[in-house]
Amino acid sequence: MSKGIKRREFFGRIFAAGLSLAGVLGVGRWMGGAAAGERVPVIRPPGALPETDFLAACIRCSRCIDACPNQCITAFTETSGLEHGLAPGRGQRNTPAIFPRRQACVLCQGAPGDVLLCTAACPTGALVPIAKTVDSILENVKIGIAVVDENICYSFQGGACGVCVRACPFEDKALRAGMWEKPIVDEEFCVGCGLCERACVRYPQAIRVELLEV
Amino acid sequence: MKNKSPSSRAPHKLQIARRTVQILALVVALTIPIVSRYANYISARELDKNLARFEGTAQGRALALLDTTFRAMPDGETERVGRIIRNRDVILARTQGFGGGPWSGQIAGVSMTDPLAAAEAIVAHKRLPWVLVVSLVVPILGTLLLGRVFCSWICPMGFLFDLGDKLRSLAGLLELRPLNIRFPRWTMYALLGAGLGLAFLSAEPVLSYVYPPAMFTREAHGFVFANFDRAEEGSLGLNFGGLTSISIILGGIMLFEAAISRRWWCRYVCPGGALYSLIGAARPVRVRLVEDRCTKCALCVPVCPMGLNPMHNEMGMACDCCGV
Repeated sequence: MSKGIKRREFFGRIFAAGLSLAGVLGVGRWMGGAAAGERVPVIRPPGALPETDFLAACIRCSRCIDACPNQCITAFTETSGLEHGLAPGRGQRNTPAIFPRRQACVLCQGAPGDVLLCTAACPTGALVPIAKTVDSILENVKIGIAVVDENICYSFQGGACGVCVRACPFEDKALRAGMWEKPIVDEEFCVGCGLCERACVRYPQAIRVELLEV
Repeated sequence: MKNKSPSSRAPHKLQIARRTVQILALVVALTIPIVSRYANYISARELDKNLARFEGTAQGRALALLDTTFRAMPDGETERVGRIIRNRDVILARTQGFGGGPWSGQIAGVSMTDPLAAAEAIVAHKRLPWVLVVSLVVPILGTLLLGRVFCSWICPMGFLFDLGDKLRSLAGLLELRPLNIRFPRWTMYALLGAGLGLAFLSAEPVLSYVYPPAMFTREAHGFVFANFDRAEEGSLGLNFGGLTSISIILGGIMLFEAAISRRWWCRYVCPGGALYSLIGAARPVRVRLVEDRCTKCALCVPVCPMGLNPMHNEMGMACDCCGV
């Protein structure tokens, strides 16, 4: 047969393959949230690598979500982020996130194992295993840091509340009660578990976990 | 994996085994998120309350079934003050042996990760942590020995696409004639390369968002969790509100395969299938043609889900050892 048909067939194949390639990779980028633009600061499970490394190493497999005994780790999607005013940015969709006011990290107290369960479940080292001893948790867990908004907090506004202080797993170390139950955060001991934010009776919360560096 | 006699039309024993394993894999993939919720309820000491609340609904039945199973295992129950109760610590420790799905998961404590997931994590993060090596042992050994056996025996989307393929015979009954466009087979290898390249450059695992088993894992989790969340809020019964665009994409692929190109994804596009093919290229166990017993009836050619040519022994590494 003539050369033209063969050439047409050849280009047809290249075209089909190219179309599949571009289509699939395009859908992949879109599903990952490429269109959503900038990355948003979101609280990661304990032991997480810095955000850029974390997004590279995490394979979005949901294993830490399954492992969490307190349901505090959720997949970061438009739906789960909605009530916290967050939407996943570039490459952040389906990554594990903690929204402390929904459910906070209990540092696997009462759960089996010697290692924080989400860090033990991670197959790619995006969450670095952390032993479940007090020293190890204080040293290695840095989910974030609790920040008190004195304009909202009851104890700073004439009342005496102290709910967050009672909720803190390192009471008197990370979170101390000052005069009239005013919460005082010690940055050295606060691991950012978010139990204080979960417990806060104010809405919006007067004490919140914020990321260390953004 | 010897060749079967072409004249036998009844399902081969191997096919019954394969379908059983496929259905089992699908059920396990859907059960793992339920196990997760079951463990959450035990941790929160809310299981008995929720068992009573959800009774009669799909969620309640699933929880009750899991509870019976975990209690029936050795040391699943213990006696306290004359009452037989759930052995909380043992069951909680056991539930931790389950997590994830066919993308990366843990079954009874054995961690397994899809080689594509590992490849993406390595390429994007530029590191190879020890945990990843450990969870690669089973899949890599299995593939080295048996080839693309994940695709035809375990992959839940391979199974569902296989069922979707039956739509074609349905279309035949309606006297419709679905197209069967053949795409170049090297597309999958090109996609694997391009995907890993993009993962390297963008430092994000792009293929994890389009690889059907990974999508299935996340969709199963989303679906199950949404159902339990709704049940906790009081609206009992099965609810499909947890399904997302992932289901639409997977359903779209299925329709595309039924109408335009048979088994398009698995044959021509799947980057995971490409990686499994490459790893299992030199496998010792493979489908072979026994020349002197072949009657050249060519029945095997249209049957092959991968669109290969078993009659001329042209299987190569793309064969997924389905044994149809």
